[in-house]
Amino acid sequence: MKILATLARGSLIAYTGLFFAFIYIPLVLIAVYSFNANPINMMTWSGFTTEWYAQVLGFKTTISENALYLESTDQLLQAVWNSLRIAASTTAIATVLGTAIAIALYRFDFFGRRFYRVVMFMPMLMPDIVLGIALLIFFVNAGIGLGIGTIIIGQCTFLISYVFIVVSARLAGMDRTLENASADLGANEWTTFRKVVFPQLLPGIVGGALLAFIISMDDLVITYFIAGVDVTTLPMFIFAMLRRGIKPEINAIAVMMLTFSFVVASLGLYLRSRQK
Amino acid sequence: MSSLALRRRAQLAVLLGPVSLFLAVFFLGPLAIMIVTSFLAPGLYGGVEWTWYPHNYGRILGFADPMFEDFDPIYIAIFLRSLKIAALTVVAALVVCYPAAFCISRLSDRWKNFCLFLITLPFFTSLIVRLFVWVLILRQTGLVNEVLLTSGVIARLLDLIYTDGAIILGMVYVFIPFMFMPVYASVEKLDWTLVRASLDLGAGPVRTFLRIILPLTAPGIAGGAVIVFIPALGNFVVPAILGGAKVMMLGNLIEQQFLAARNWPFGSALAMMVMSVMLVLLFVYVVVSGRRGLDAAAGQ
Repeated sequence: MKILATLARGSLIAYTGLFFAFIYIPLVLIAVYSFNANPINMMTWSGFTTEWYAQVLGFKTTISENALYLESTDQLLQAVWNSLRIAASTTAIATVLGTAIAIALYRFDFFGRRFYRVVMFMPMLMPDIVLGIALLIFFVNAGIGLGIGTIIIGQCTFLISYVFIVVSARLAGMDRTLENASADLGANEWTTFRKVVFPQLLPGIVGGALLAFIISMDDLVITYFIAGVDVTTLPMFIFAMLRRGIKPEINAIAVMMLTFSFVVASLGLYLRSRQK
Repeated sequence: MSSLALRRRAQLAVLLGPVSLFLAVFFLGPLAIMIVTSFLAPGLYGGVEWTWYPHNYGRILGFADPMFEDFDPIYIAIFLRSLKIAALTVVAALVVCYPAAFCISRLSDRWKNFCLFLITLPFFTSLIVRLFVWVLILRQTGLVNEVLLTSGVIARLLDLIYTDGAIILGMVYVFIPFMFMPVYASVEKLDWTLVRASLDLGAGPVRTFLRIILPLTAPGIAGGAVIVFIPALGNFVVPAILGGAKVMMLGNLIEQQFLAARNWPFGSALAMMVMSVMLVLLFVYVVVSGRRGLDAAAGQ
């Protein structure tokens, strides 16, 4: 019986090892093969090169001199710039609105509170394609021209929910004795909020903002429907590249994006989970 | 009314006002317009005609407008196929996540948090990049074929990509955090003294699993199933990348209606089908597990 239990335990641990391997080995693979010199068969190793990165970043390489068709670095940079601009705006709007509603729902008791909670969860549960086409129909009917502005508005509808959830979690776990102490010591409501509540809330707000930023940068589906014809974001650019056919440059772009997401998301998750 | 109560009301209005306005106009409004559109007639050149036209649903469910076109069972077939693929995705994701949840729940706090961090992290990396990796692994000249061919296991290249299996694999890969978190939440709460009591009283491991462990972790399984099934059903990116042109799912069909065929009412009706499946699932879930379950699942 004891041997059996040990065996079961061992196989469970092995399974969990495989579980993490399943998640991370593909990502490691792409990082390794992004340095593969083979231009045709990307998964057959033929030597180390950094040319794909140089190519993507717009340096002159032997590839760019020999290739028949190149992905335009200018277009890529334009897409990156669009994504960054959009993410900066959506993060600002979603953070303010998400935090406001979190405070309202956690610190006030009012009629319709339950309804608001349901509405806040809806954009996250709804399949993104449904939200995307609903927004498309709305913007076209309302005569609002599709572009950066509509992308910002569209992404905010679900990013508010993400910020709301992160900040709510922080509010729910907050110790209220400090607030009471502050009030007892004669501080008015606004001072108490500024000096006691807000500093405690700040890591949650920053964490939520970072996660909103990264989700905005990565959003494909909703953006895809409401971007119009003139604006391309980074995920849309890669999606279009993939549909045209796979080239080694995509590897290099993918690895740079992964690195960026990992750094920002790690920071966001760290701030979200930090207790004090 | 006292001035304090008035002040609190004013504060509440400042906090709630802008969000309410924003979500009413840009979230609830568009949904309402989409619902209306799904009952309107498609115009000849891509527009919408303001007449009552339930036949958009008829094209899917079997009462198509005979003036316009015959009923084509292809749409209901795509719908059923999407349901099937989404269901298989749920089952596969559960098989992947469930045992790992048990293992991780028994770790020390430090390791536990680290593992949860590692599982959540991919959710915040680019969806398209994570799917692209699988294209490199699965395609004809991809890693799997390359390794199997050079090691002599297979004599000719396997068709791995552009299949239902590839779509399911891709969706499981991107939805792991959605399934893992609710399942883990209920596994972690599992009372192991009950398991020990069951074993002490003579129930075998299989019976203990079926009668004690499974029922106690069922809320998490149900929660994970719902929040994986919903995005899987309407997904269009995964089939577009890993399914190629061969495998059509609801998501691709909707995309096609909006960006290529320009039949917005029909596209809206298809989206409403996805929405109604979602609402039915959520309704069943809330009825079975109580309101608390929904909050827990949505809040992860």
